[in-house]
Amino acid sequence: MRALRLFAGFVAAIGLFGAATTATAATYDRIFRYGLDPAPDAPASDAEAARFLTQATFGPSVADIARLRALGYNEWMDEQLGAGATAGRPYVEQVIASLTTGGQNVSQTQRLDRWFWTATYATDQLRQRMAWALSQIFVVSDQSSGISNDIIPMSEYQDLLARDAFGSYRALLGDVTWSPTMGRFLNNYHNQKPSATTQPDENYAREVMQLFSVGLIQRNLDFSPLLSSGNPVPTYDQTTITHTAKVFTGFTYSDAPINPPNFYGGAITNAGAYNPMACWGLELFPYDSSNMRHDITGDDGTLNSSKTVLGGLTIPSGQTCALDVSDELDIIAGHANVAPFISRQLIQRFVTSNPSPAYIGRVAAVFEDNGAPDHERGDLGAVIKAILFDDEARTPAADPSYGKLREPLLRLTAIWRAWNARPQAADEYGQVKMTGGVSFLSATGQRPLGSPTVFNFYEPDFQQPGQFAEQNLYSPEFEITNESTTYTTGNMFYSFTRRAYIGMDLPPDNQTLPTDRPLLDLSSLQANAANATAMVDEANLRMLYGSMSPQMHDTLVNTLTFMSGASSQELAWSLVYLISLSPEFAAQR
Amino acid sequence: MTMNRKSRRDFLRQLACVAASGSIASLMPQLRMMGSALAASAPSSLDGYKALVCCYLSGGNDAWNMVVPYDAARFGVYTASRSGTYDPNANSGGLGLTLPSTAAQIAAQVITDANDANGATNQYFMHPNMPELQSLYTQNQLAFIGNVGPLIAPLTKAEYNADPTSRPRQLYSHSDQENLWHVGTGVDNRYGWGGDSMNVLKPQFPPGNNTQLSPCISISGSNKFEVGSNLFPYQMSGSSSGTTNPLAQLSAVCNPIGCTGTSGQRDVALNQLLGAAYQNMFAGEYQQTFKRGRDLFALLYGGLNSTDGQVTTAFPANNSLGNQLLSVARMIKLSRINNYAARQIYYVRMGGFDMHSGLMGGGGNAHAALLTKVSQAFSAFSQAMAEISATNEVTTFTMSEFARTLSSNGSGSDHGWGGIQMVMGGAVQGGRLYTQGGGPLTGFPDESLDNNGNFNRGQFIPGIAVDQYASTMAQWLGVTSSADLGTIFPNLSNFDAAHRNLGFLG
Repeated sequence: MRALRLFAGFVAAIGLFGAATTATAATYDRIFRYGLDPAPDAPASDAEAARFLTQATFGPSVADIARLRALGYNEWMDEQLGAGATAGRPYVEQVIASLTTGGQNVSQTQRLDRWFWTATYATDQLRQRMAWALSQIFVVSDQSSGISNDIIPMSEYQDLLARDAFGSYRALLGDVTWSPTMGRFLNNYHNQKPSATTQPDENYAREVMQLFSVGLIQRNLDFSPLLSSGNPVPTYDQTTITHTAKVFTGFTYSDAPINPPNFYGGAITNAGAYNPMACWGLELFPYDSSNMRHDITGDDGTLNSSKTVLGGLTIPSGQTCALDVSDELDIIAGHANVAPFISRQLIQRFVTSNPSPAYIGRVAAVFEDNGAPDHERGDLGAVIKAILFDDEARTPAADPSYGKLREPLLRLTAIWRAWNARPQAADEYGQVKMTGGVSFLSATGQRPLGSPTVFNFYEPDFQQPGQFAEQNLYSPEFEITNESTTYTTGNMFYSFTRRAYIGMDLPPDNQTLPTDRPLLDLSSLQANAANATAMVDEANLRMLYGSMSPQMHDTLVNTLTFMSGASSQELAWSLVYLISLSPEFAAQR
Repeated sequence: MTMNRKSRRDFLRQLACVAASGSIASLMPQLRMMGSALAASAPSSLDGYKALVCCYLSGGNDAWNMVVPYDAARFGVYTASRSGTYDPNANSGGLGLTLPSTAAQIAAQVITDANDANGATNQYFMHPNMPELQSLYTQNQLAFIGNVGPLIAPLTKAEYNADPTSRPRQLYSHSDQENLWHVGTGVDNRYGWGGDSMNVLKPQFPPGNNTQLSPCISISGSNKFEVGSNLFPYQMSGSSSGTTNPLAQLSAVCNPIGCTGTSGQRDVALNQLLGAAYQNMFAGEYQQTFKRGRDLFALLYGGLNSTDGQVTTAFPANNSLGNQLLSVARMIKLSRINNYAARQIYYVRMGGFDMHSGLMGGGGNAHAALLTKVSQAFSAFSQAMAEISATNEVTTFTMSEFARTLSSNGSGSDHGWGGIQMVMGGAVQGGRLYTQGGGPLTGFPDESLDNNGNFNRGQFIPGIAVDQYASTMAQWLGVTSSADLGTIFPNLSNFDAAHRNLGFLG
């Protein structure tokens, strides 16, 4: 084995394995786990590998298909779970500084460029995909005026989700709660104890329970509602919210000056604006100080009572802010609803909109106990592994309601990865532009960290009117899919296919080669321009994991054949563009 | 000959197809007569044209700052409950508006409730950023309804406290309370009251109406309000600006018809992909949605490019709600000219009202700035309806999931329950506040905190149910039988018979 390791390091160093650029590759490449034998749990075909990668990454690339087949599922998973997080914030910070120095405007586009770059090119694919899923549960949005200018802090928030993606749920909940981006989005930042005329802000207290943890009604492990006399049982009521709001008071920037105290100061440096918030409570000031902003009282507004919160559990009065928050988050994270509530949404993001109760139950059981010697609860790495390795994920059900609509932005990243899109060179400010001037929210209904509200782009319980609603089935992504977004999303694909490939035919419309988006490599299609069937087969594997129906295959072959006068470039982009519009590409099975 | 409703509908649809073919115009009167003769036992064809335009204010509009008591006694109560008058320096946590004092302020803000003869209590003032709507109110084109919100049945605070089943589920939750406004009852329902109403009305459309275009049209995406059984909205792309076509063309295929060369070949391919059958429901639903988009684009694009689909009224710039209402105005004009539907329902939406912080600040996202946009957009829409002679045919109204706490959280307000909504149009019996729901809580509410009508932070138990507010509009649109109203609003019978129509329309 020793020799093999050295050999592996050498191979990685000369770059034979483009994807193997993680830290582990320098000393040991997992591809040699089984020596030169095939991995015992390898996908049986490129198509099977591509289907898995469609669920688990931002889209299968040719290189990743080969790597997964060589590693087998378990090694691939271990490699991904062990890969460190590709950071975005340092890049964004640097680009913003350069642009500002150069007298250029800055905007959230710099953050979005980096998000798309990471999704397309980072090797920690599963971690970043998990962060994307988590960003649709622990929602913050630059559509809110409160944080629309917080470009660097928002990219740090994205990094936070990536760092915590395989850690414990409780740690993630804590980091989210203390994030100044979340604080400024849901108003726990600058929230403070009651005055003679004001009460604590209830926003975070409500949404942390409704959306980030337990939901509105009590659930069994398989997500089915717990019933009392046939009715669902609420997890909390308005009184709980009022009491819980007291917990989330006293937060401000970590660098808000203490001497002399200025609760409203801080964010003096970039780090001050993105580091976890600090508490202004008993930690810093005596109980009767006007500078103390945390509400240390209990339900009745005095120190004689405690705070009665979720599940009727209590938090003693008179505690520091940090202790109160810690106690509260322990209580929330400890609630029995968390496992099914979070598991079900993650399954919806990765595999299927309508998981069976048994599937949710199996994943939720892993959430409750990761099966390791320490029986950790809320191990998100174990949860995502359970989601992707479940039979219901690996073996597509024949049931027509199986699967999901692919998210529009994941369709875009899948196109880039399928066709080895070449990134632009960094410009004079260090920017690598990806977004092509597209307004993603209006075109597709999605935008990274840019949902219209805290309720995400779509809700997990959305039921498309018609066949889904009549059968009581869920279809979240259809909430943003309609007669007009099919058009505008199609036009977005046009911008990133027809208007963005290497060797683009410039005439007849005299387009200059774009510099604000990656360029697809369609050479393998162009090389087959005389063989329509070969072209469609190639595109089928890259974009549809070999699942293209014979009828769609026929349609595309006939079209290419009839376009006999067209250039090889036009044949190539037409094929990719038509697939990007197709119902079979839109659905993930 | 007897026909059940379905076969009659099918027959009318066939008639409509014949009529739409338009080859023999002289046949039309006879066909109309046949249609109405056959429909003797069913409601006759709807006359004329009417449309409802729902403007959803998302996030929970702080309606208690839209309409404020003007008399000293009640204004004092209001101010105290709102944690004092807002002052950026002296009381930055206060949420109370300043009393209009100058002649100009009084002229632009103060209104009188013509439903209340008592001069001591019938004066209110509107938010200072809504002068256009104040003007419409004084012209009797605008009315306020409140205190309205989701209820299962008339409710007192004692009943609320004693019996949890008396409460609508998940009060104070954005998503759940919005849902109740959309379905028009205090309990969940699969369909919205707009879609349900249209389900009743659509079979009564006269022959010649278009069968392809849904009579429910959304300018702001998916919504439950416009969903009925077998009926869902056409989701047009959002906004218009001037005469620019609100429908985007699809690149590199034919828009909508008649092109040649490689675009034509791609067009054929796309039509084949969208014409095929898909076993998987997600692929199939996407295919149907996209195909419907293609068909409706073909129907509407040309008209929206012509003067038939354009208005000359100027809409406010940088105003998303205004852009949406401009699209509505253009579609109403085009629909009437082309006889698309005897009744239509439109849905527009404006976000940003969830102001837990910054409610009173001067920035572009404070409540005042949002109300400026609402006022200017509504005013432009009202003018556009006058331009196309549809003032009396179109009624615009607001919904919002809840009003907000009267008391401040230091910078904004939190989630409440009942609030005030607006109704605008020529059919509105305007210049009035409608505050009587026939239940135990009547009149403009006493705004002292924690009294018999609200809770400790000023979250109001509604005195009027959404059902009553909504059924008034459904009745105006043409849903008149008590059986139909009972189906759409199953809890309506819980409310006083004399108040199932609040009388603010027609």
